[in-house]
Amino acid sequence: MSVRHSSSRRFSAAAVLSWRGFFQRFSFVLFVGLAAFLLILTRTQPEAISSLRTHTLDIVAPLLDVLARPALIIEDARVSLRSIVSLRAENKRLYEENRHLIEWQNAVVTLEKENRELRALLKFKTEPRQTYVSARVIADTGGAHARGLIITAGKSDGVREGMAAMTGEGLIGRVIEVGAWSSRVWLISDLNSRIPVMIAETGDRAILAGDNTPQPKLLFLARDASVSGGARVVTSGHGGIFPPNLPIGVLRETEHGTFDVIPAADLGRVTYVRLVDFSLEGGALNPIENKLRAEGKKK
Amino acid sequence: MEVFWQRLDLWLRSALPSFLTLLMTLLEVGAWPLPYSGFVRPALGFIALFYWAAHRPDLFSPMIAFAAGLLSDFLNGGPPGLSALLFTAAHQIIWRQRGFFAGHSFLMLWFGFILAVVPFTLIQWAALGLLNWQVAPLLPVLVQLVLTIVLFPLPCWVFIQTQRVALSSN
Repeated sequence: MSVRHSSSRRFSAAAVLSWRGFFQRFSFVLFVGLAAFLLILTRTQPEAISSLRTHTLDIVAPLLDVLARPALIIEDARVSLRSIVSLRAENKRLYEENRHLIEWQNAVVTLEKENRELRALLKFKTEPRQTYVSARVIADTGGAHARGLIITAGKSDGVREGMAAMTGEGLIGRVIEVGAWSSRVWLISDLNSRIPVMIAETGDRAILAGDNTPQPKLLFLARDASVSGGARVVTSGHGGIFPPNLPIGVLRETEHGTFDVIPAADLGRVTYVRLVDFSLEGGALNPIENKLRAEGKKK
Repeated sequence: MEVFWQRLDLWLRSALPSFLTLLMTLLEVGAWPLPYSGFVRPALGFIALFYWAAHRPDLFSPMIAFAAGLLSDFLNGGPPGLSALLFTAAHQIIWRQRGFFAGHSFLMLWFGFILAVVPFTLIQWAALGLLNWQVAPLLPVLVQLVLTIVLFPLPCWVFIQTQRVALSSN
């Protein structure tokens, strides 16, 4: 009896093990198939995948927000501590800067008046109105494979695709996906980022190309361009994605004689971003405007 | 009522490996206040996947590996399905070779992890290059790989303690 009992137990244990093995193998095939299906769908139905991604982002954003809080507290404490340590020197510097700014303010008032009068004389088309949305960074995505940020502002806050993402120092990227209350920003250092730029001092044009490293490369700079390291790089306004003259960073000559750009903002430590809608009508090269226009036509 | 609490307790303990893996995947993209953290990140999600697939495959199904990979894809903005595919394949390989990966000294576990994470990272880099039709620089990927290997003991220690405290009687 006891022999029969133990053999039946052995049998049931073996059955469970073989069932588990079968399930493991079956689920492996199932999930590999599902992943492959998703990869194909990314190619054939990019809009559906993008929508799925923004919905997932909206669901996960509150969790990421909670996880980002301790980091934010540490960063705030670090900044506060630094400002306390350098309080005296900072105060002196600000005093000097303020004196200079008052001089500038007087000059600006006169220039502004003159500018207004000259524009009126020329019937100059004024720049479109700019709108701003400020947001906090809750995730810094991509690591070595891609470069992006997830921020706490979405459609409900007035964010739309294509808005320029800036910090106090300059341009850092643009909004590429917008959820209900979260959005994804593509940084200028991302491998797929291409921005028409120019050298502020000389007006030479080039393309700023991200390569997932902290310093994006400068491509298609004219051979006869007389530029050197330290020159300021700003947006050129071509393509209709960004307006001209948004500061990006400074030029650096590499060992191989090529140029890359040191971004004005520390792209690895962005805590807050300002999203700016320049209300650009967009050129033929602006993929975002084209997409929005196509969507509008469909409706 | 007591049975209900016991079952809930058991369920929560059983869900710990899955919960920790998804949490690590979220932490991987978190806004860390560290210099260069935006450029290289340790693959925390993969560390969790490796540990639990090797030590508690009974509590860590391929579905969770797939979900963690998909979450990583969605958060990183990469092609959805790629990390999900690699995580599921890695889970299967680690599960089949768990006799080699688990049950030995910590150094052997670390060595096993290196054997798993190096091909995983390189395949991911190559696949992303193929899908984007653009070769991404390898240096940041290698720095990330080294960082992941160096930091492996830290999350691993948390998992070992979790297993000892919460999953030893399971």
